[in-house]
Amino acid sequence: MSQTDTAETTANRTDSQEISTTAGETVEETRPEWTSYEAAGQTKLAVEDLDVHYGDDHALKGVSMDIPEQSVTALIGPSGCGKSTFLRCLNRMNDRIRAASVDGTVELDGENIYQDGVDLVELRKRVGMVFQSPNPFPKSIRENVSYGPRKHGDIETGLLAKLTGRAEPEREEALVERSLERAALWEEVNDRLDDNALGLSGGQQQRLCIARCLAVDPEIILMDEPASALDPIATSKIEDLIEDLAQDYTVVVVTHSMQQAARVSDQTAVFLTGGELVEYDDTEKIFENPESQRVEDYISGKFG
Amino acid sequence: MSLTPQPDWRASIERRLTRTQEFVDDTDPEALAVVLVSMGSLLAAFVGFLLASPWTAVPLGVFLIATGYGWARHQALVARAVTFAMTTVTLVTLGLIVVFIFAESIPAFQYETASVFGVSVPGLGMFTQARWDAVSEPVRYSLLPMIHGTVMVTTIATLVAAPLGVAAALFIAEIAPPRVRELVKPGIEILAGIPSIVYGFIGFTIINPWAGGAFALNGGSTYLFVGIVVGLMALPTVVSVAEDALTSVPDVMKDGSLALGATDWQSMTSITLPAAFSGVSAAVLLGVGRAIGETMAATVMLAGIPRISEPLVNVFYGYETLTSLIARGYGSANGVHESALFAAGVVLFVTVLCLSIGSQYIEARMRRRLGGIE
Amino acid sequence: MSRATQTALIRDDRTLYEAVAGTAVGLSGVAFAVGLAALLGVVAIDDPVAGFELSVAFGAVLLALGAAVVGFGVASRFGYVDAAPQPSAGIVAAAAFTGIWFAVGAIVSGAVGLGTGGRLGVGVVLGGLAFATTALPREDIGSTLPAGAVAGLCGLSLITGVVGPGWKQVLVGYNATLFGDTVVPLIVLFASLVAGWSAAKAYGGFGARGRNVGAYVLIYLVVCSILVVLVGLVGFVTVKGLPGLFNGFGVGGAALISWPFLTNGAGLLADIAGVFPALVGTVWLVIGAVLFAVPTGVGAAVFLSEYAEQGRFTGAVEVATNGLWSTPSIVFGLFGAAFLIPRFGNQKSLIAGMLTLGFMLLPLVLITSREAILAVPDEYRDASAALGVSKWQTIRSVVLPAAIPGVTTGVILGVGRIAGETAPILLTMGGGVLPAKSAAPDVLGGFRLSASPPFVSNPSLLEATSALPYQLYALITAGLSGNIQNPQEYAWGLALTLLLVVLVFYAIGIATRYYFRRKLHQ
Repeated sequence: MSQTDTAETTANRTDSQEISTTAGETVEETRPEWTSYEAAGQTKLAVEDLDVHYGDDHALKGVSMDIPEQSVTALIGPSGCGKSTFLRCLNRMNDRIRAASVDGTVELDGENIYQDGVDLVELRKRVGMVFQSPNPFPKSIRENVSYGPRKHGDIETGLLAKLTGRAEPEREEALVERSLERAALWEEVNDRLDDNALGLSGGQQQRLCIARCLAVDPEIILMDEPASALDPIATSKIEDLIEDLAQDYTVVVVTHSMQQAARVSDQTAVFLTGGELVEYDDTEKIFENPESQRVEDYISGKFG
Repeated sequence: MSLTPQPDWRASIERRLTRTQEFVDDTDPEALAVVLVSMGSLLAAFVGFLLASPWTAVPLGVFLIATGYGWARHQALVARAVTFAMTTVTLVTLGLIVVFIFAESIPAFQYETASVFGVSVPGLGMFTQARWDAVSEPVRYSLLPMIHGTVMVTTIATLVAAPLGVAAALFIAEIAPPRVRELVKPGIEILAGIPSIVYGFIGFTIINPWAGGAFALNGGSTYLFVGIVVGLMALPTVVSVAEDALTSVPDVMKDGSLALGATDWQSMTSITLPAAFSGVSAAVLLGVGRAIGETMAATVMLAGIPRISEPLVNVFYGYETLTSLIARGYGSANGVHESALFAAGVVLFVTVLCLSIGSQYIEARMRRRLGGIE
Repeated sequence: MSRATQTALIRDDRTLYEAVAGTAVGLSGVAFAVGLAALLGVVAIDDPVAGFELSVAFGAVLLALGAAVVGFGVASRFGYVDAAPQPSAGIVAAAAFTGIWFAVGAIVSGAVGLGTGGRLGVGVVLGGLAFATTALPREDIGSTLPAGAVAGLCGLSLITGVVGPGWKQVLVGYNATLFGDTVVPLIVLFASLVAGWSAAKAYGGFGARGRNVGAYVLIYLVVCSILVVLVGLVGFVTVKGLPGLFNGFGVGGAALISWPFLTNGAGLLADIAGVFPALVGTVWLVIGAVLFAVPTGVGAAVFLSEYAEQGRFTGAVEVATNGLWSTPSIVFGLFGAAFLIPRFGNQKSLIAGMLTLGFMLLPLVLITSREAILAVPDEYRDASAALGVSKWQTIRSVVLPAAIPGVTTGVILGVGRIAGETAPILLTMGGGVLPAKSAAPDVLGGFRLSASPPFVSNPSLLEATSALPYQLYALITAGLSGNIQNPQEYAWGLALTLLLVVLVFYAIGIATRYYFRRKLHQ
């Protein structure tokens, strides 16, 4: 981060804070909007003026951003600044929280997911989610991976299917193998697919959850601090996986670790206190030369 | 440490002895004396009570005085001793119940001795023939008609309480919006509060006469309606235990299922219910135990003649259950008859105890299972 | 892999279809409710409805529902409506319909006159057919055709009068007869349930969402029925008991309120018979039980949670306590009779009743106290110990006060339960059927000290006394008759009094729990 002299710095300030000029006077600046960011590639998710209230708490304030397809977008910022809230709006998991009210639009390929009559099942087939702590079901590995397609009726298993000849065990096996391979877990578990998923290590469980998500064949994968509960080796495996997945999926990752964001993402959005999106740009730009002083302070560790 | 394998219990007894020794050495002798006097007098009072001695008031008074004094002067030690005594009371109560019930039933078991393969087994006669008559010759005390009645009533009650109870528990735990839950949950608890004699009263004055007319019966007592009423009484038990089990399934699991595009109902049936299955089974078992032990509604609504229905599954007539037998017969029973009532009590007690232990075991297993998920 | 084709997030417009399906669900709900009313005798099945008997009207409605349900399925199957059915209706539905049609086959063929073999045969055939129809075709046909057929068949039998007000069927060997007045409402309840479920599935567009709606409809129905029964019970007892309870009630005068039902006995001297002795008996029973059980239970809970090593011993005590808690109340009565009566003058007495109820209350207090004490976070204890406070002082000043809410709630709910118990006091206490006011125990005034053993005595504690639940039972056993003006009204007033006493305890207990929970979360 280059330190220009005060005159130029004043012009470049992008936050509303009291800034002291070289003359020692304090000047308040209004924050000019960072100029809208055009990411490379087609927009997959267009968020416009997203506002979220949890009761009286204004958790997200007028967030607008366009997320390009087949890339990794990282959301960083101190805890409690609305990153997870924002993420959960993208697949409408916030609907689960009764006190939450959401305004604004989120357009998936041009269709607003918050309009009336949207089928949540269809939405979540296209927008998948991986949670902070691995949450495999207390079932076998195979059943975990094929859970989504089975519930959607795409694959039939079970007694009735076998009786009526509609069961397709080969399709299920193929799907399970594909998903586990893509999640970089196949090598480790291919000989024990019937074992209970809870017996896997933390890192393996998280990759299982990713495989489970991939089996549904989504277009977008949301990840809420996917590696925060894992050890460094498992974490680096997850990060490699994220980069690999971006070739085919649109990945949005919430992360506490700035280094992780710098490593894996193509563009980064910074959320600061009170649910504000302060800056959103190419990752290199954010980390090397952010426009906002607050972002610069955050990244250099002055707070958060 | 010695290398020879010393039995564990001996080592632990030695440890306890040394600890007691240290304790005695450390403690103020006066406090020790007060505690000893207080506990000793309590024990004496209890023994006196057991023996129905008129002198019981004396050690009881000593206990009160000693404890009061000790409370003022050596509260910590006395508190510990007193709470220990309370614990013993609980254990002693259970022990006494078991002892007395079994002891009082012995004459009846001896009376109904039957032999199988040349070996005489006391009490076998209660289960190998079906005649209960305490008055006219030959006087027999078979528990079979009452067991049949209890089975009939309990089966129908379970058919009512189990599905409805699990459905209501699912509703409260998963489906209901918060305001509705605030209404329904206390509502079901209130259902639990209605005394069984009130249920019995309604059954006696309203249901029985109606049933007699609606089905053209000889008289109105039916196992069918007694079963339905008992099922209503067991319902809240099933609901509250099952609901506890369902809410203890971690939210993240349900979130995970929903995020994959499953519907609420699919998440409930594929994730929540299987994970809570042990708890729900325990709930049903407890409900069954409640139904078995239900007394007053059955006593008031049933005909009171120990008979086995003909045909066996005839729900349109109701005779006697184990509980109603005891309630109805106790006032006028003497000697072996009275003892036979205790025998019925033994059967009840053992059955419900087994169900309770079974459900506790299942719940413990479930806690361990879910505990591994975190 | 991104999708080559994208499915729309919003389904095609289905509003008309959903409106009709929704109406069908509503209609089956109405049919269910009216059927319930008919079963309970609120309406009669031959009541006229628009010129027809109610039974025939039911038939028409069921027939319409059946046709509608089949229509929904067909409309979806042949693409008139964009629903999302799964390839099959599933094994649960298949099993259910197999069972239903097996039963229908067996019953109908029995009515026609076939023997057992024939009935089984017809049942098996129809069951198999139902299985095939449910499991094999697509879900929209599989869950509508069998359901619609059930409703249609039932509707047909009602509308043609095959089953109607005059119908009856003697159950040979059971000494019972089935009449149309009972069977018609049952048919309506059953058929409307099945049709309503199927229509709900159609409303949800079949598939996973449809099953969601269908399941929710059934569950909401179950819960509503339970609540209706509850309200009905309490309301019924209230309505029948009010005349008795307020018999002779007056406001004003010297005592401000005169409430003879609660202040009089039922002896010959009283102009208006009341339940005073039983009320007093119940009050003393509760007091005695609480005095025994609460200190003992709380003390034991403190020892088990704070002093004892958590291990086999405490585990055994827990198992024993849980066993005691689920022991039937009559067994407690037997114990009281065997153990206490010989030691209190060899007769039924108030104190025997008190102690027996105390034994019943003890496990409840112990379990709730233990939970409340264990719920106090260890941080509190650690903080106190770090300040150098002794263990007992910590328990007394930190743990117990924090546990009091839970203990209080548990005690109140436990009291509510034992106040309504009859069986234990039946065997240990049992007073008269219609006790006079003088029979009310005067416990406080009855204590006497003496210089010779047994030193302390109290005749009122040693007397057989009545209590509310016992008196109701005694009245029932006496056939609801006695030397009072209107035994029926009296009995209902007594039942209402008992119900109110118990429900007040429960209400206070639930309210305290709610209050403490709110306080904790603030």
